[in-house]
Amino acid sequence: MDLEIRKVTRQDPEYPALLQTIKNPPSALYYKGDLSPLQEPCLAIVGSRKASSYGSWAAYELARRAAAYGITVVSGMAYGIDAAAHTGALDGGGKTVAVFGCGVDICYPSSHRKLLGRILQQGAVLSEFQPGTKPHPAMFPVRNRIISGLCQGTVIAEAALKSGSLITAELAAEQGREVFAVPGNINQVYSFGTNKLIRDGAIPIVSFDDVLEIFGLDRRAEVKRKAPKPLLSPQEQRIADALRREGELSLNRLAEILQLPPGDLAAEVTYMEVKGLVSSQAGRIFLNE
Amino acid sequence: MYSNVITATLHGLEGLPVQVEVDLSAGLPAFLLVGLPDTSVREARDRIHRAIANCGFSFPQKKITVNLSPANQRKEGTHFDLPIALGVLAAGKVIPPDSLQGKAFLGELSLDGRIHPVRGALPLAAGLQNSGYRKLFLPKENCGETGLLQEMELYPAEHLSQVVDILRGETSAQRWQGDPSGTLAEDASLYPDFGEVRGQEGIKRALTVAAAGGHGVLLSGEPGAGKTMMARCLPGILPPMTPEEQLEITMIYSVAGELKGKEGAVRRRPFREPHHTIPVTALTGGGGKPKPGELSLAHGGILFLDELPEYDRRITEALREPLESKRMVLTRLAETVVYPADFLLVAACNPCPCGFLGSKERECTCSGAQIRRYRARLSGPVLDRIDIRLEVEPVPYRELAVRKPDQSKEGSTERCRTSSELREEVQRAAAVQEERYRNIGIRRNSQLDAKQLKTYCTPDRPGADLLEQAFQSLHLSARAYGKVLKVARTVADLNGKDTIGLAEVGEALRYRGAF
Repeated sequence: MDLEIRKVTRQDPEYPALLQTIKNPPSALYYKGDLSPLQEPCLAIVGSRKASSYGSWAAYELARRAAAYGITVVSGMAYGIDAAAHTGALDGGGKTVAVFGCGVDICYPSSHRKLLGRILQQGAVLSEFQPGTKPHPAMFPVRNRIISGLCQGTVIAEAALKSGSLITAELAAEQGREVFAVPGNINQVYSFGTNKLIRDGAIPIVSFDDVLEIFGLDRRAEVKRKAPKPLLSPQEQRIADALRREGELSLNRLAEILQLPPGDLAAEVTYMEVKGLVSSQAGRIFLNE
Repeated sequence: MYSNVITATLHGLEGLPVQVEVDLSAGLPAFLLVGLPDTSVREARDRIHRAIANCGFSFPQKKITVNLSPANQRKEGTHFDLPIALGVLAAGKVIPPDSLQGKAFLGELSLDGRIHPVRGALPLAAGLQNSGYRKLFLPKENCGETGLLQEMELYPAEHLSQVVDILRGETSAQRWQGDPSGTLAEDASLYPDFGEVRGQEGIKRALTVAAAGGHGVLLSGEPGAGKTMMARCLPGILPPMTPEEQLEITMIYSVAGELKGKEGAVRRRPFREPHHTIPVTALTGGGGKPKPGELSLAHGGILFLDELPEYDRRITEALREPLESKRMVLTRLAETVVYPADFLLVAACNPCPCGFLGSKERECTCSGAQIRRYRARLSGPVLDRIDIRLEVEPVPYRELAVRKPDQSKEGSTERCRTSSELREEVQRAAAVQEERYRNIGIRRNSQLDAKQLKTYCTPDRPGADLLEQAFQSLHLSARAYGKVLKVARTVADLNGKDTIGLAEVGEALRYRGAF
């Protein structure tokens, strides 16, 4: 996957048009892969590196559906939300671009090498830093202005109170771009940041259509790919209802709520997981909707 | 002027009879002790000399030769004091030599003749019993543990002059009258009860599976979630100790010097929680002189490793052998000793260094790199041996406060299950397994190897289909496959089923954990 590193300056026609309009655009961009997806409508999906299962799911699903509409998903290839967003776009067969806070020849974090390979096949990685520049904490906030600057809108999928992605949201707002936030329960620390954004004026994502509006797209354009809704057994329906009501739950709490023997419930949840109706992460089960 | 007294020495957990031969001969007064005594035995000479004198007997002014036979076996321990002293007194005609016949002796002397308890009394006595001896004089404090031996007549000895009086026929020997059924039997009330753990029925079910199949468990969850408490309850749902198990466990504790005087025999399954700063030798046992370590002290019970990622790699490596072979082999310069070490491994960890990752109440303060480093330390030999991984969540206070413990609703599933209920289930499943594996030398599903897995753990059609789908959709590894099947076998045993079906595979897949 050793692609040639190329350079594009502000004078070049390939330089992303939207990025020209921000306050301090980078004078040159180094990139690997194909920059043409940035000519399409672009949506940034960012969030904290320590993501909950809910946040990762939201980022993944938003990216996957955006991909289905031909929207390019832009993010930072960090752990957590960023990775979920790229993966969602890739799994949805769409384009995705990762903006680095280091030289594009460095895979950071290095454990995302495989993800990087996939991104290069269906998009590009770019950076304003010269190849060989090592990652440094101070460079990531600087990088964030490019992420928001490349896109018509920025989604904060999940953020705690002190998250770097809140900086991205601020930058997006300054650049006059739309800021979306995925709302969460008010007792969830990982949603404090996003909920606060909503209070401060960000658009809450109540359904995916909220994002489509700014691109002037409408729902009918979506490639019909969804399978017909699976039939649920009465037991599965009860489990699904409880999860819908309570958000994510541990098996233990689910057993308490439904008054079912935990052993039987464990089996039931596994069937649902295999069918793709629910997912689990770190012992919590949640509904895929 | 020769006498001969029977005592014993230890080799691992095995007691070997030893003859103490004492010979008095003409010559300059001297005390020669031969037969590979170690320092603690050699020092007996000085204690014996003063104890005999202080009891008012005369110490023979002769050349005294003491031989401990078999002479090629190393001997260790202070329990040689009493037999050697009696040998000297018998050779000096203070007590009639034939009064020693058919009797065995153990005991450490103090300078005034009192007899102190000794380490390893039970295995020593067991060795003597196996060699046909039926009368044993031993320190009073050691009678409790030794009472486990039904065929041995025990005579508590408190003082050298008391023993001499008995052997001279001046007073009659009082046989120890312990009540083996009352004081020696297992006491279930000594275990904390799962009935006290509320709102964690899911975890309790999983731990029941672990206890039934002997599956190692990893509990992960934030501090205060109840990991340690539930681990402590676990020995209480293992099947009751068999008399053989109790004997074996008590022997280990006897040799390690861990028996508390009054309790006598070990009356509950062990629960050991070595701290992560423990030196390796304290865990495996040994040092210069082999002695059971924590792994053997956990035999028949639970070994609980709290904060598993904090343990040094050398310590987790040391667990590999006992987890595999269920025993600990200690090879030292002069000898090789084997101690049993068959325990259920329970480990606990936090989801991240600060402990609050994924918590609903508090924010995690760790960096991503810290979390990955912490998790990386979780891999390795111990984790390979852990079949069940569980995430434990703290129970919200309102749940604890509102719920009444024993209120059962009509479905009866909501009830807070107690240790005795769970123990019954475990016992049934254990019996099924022991019957099934009678001829292949294992006792629990967790011990199945790859070949046996094929024979005993083939799921039925729907179960196999689910397993196949799960592997594709959940990206499970080949190693996970074996674990899931073993756990599913145990679930089937708990459910009273012969074949592994859909429900069993489904439940087992749930216990594969998130790491």
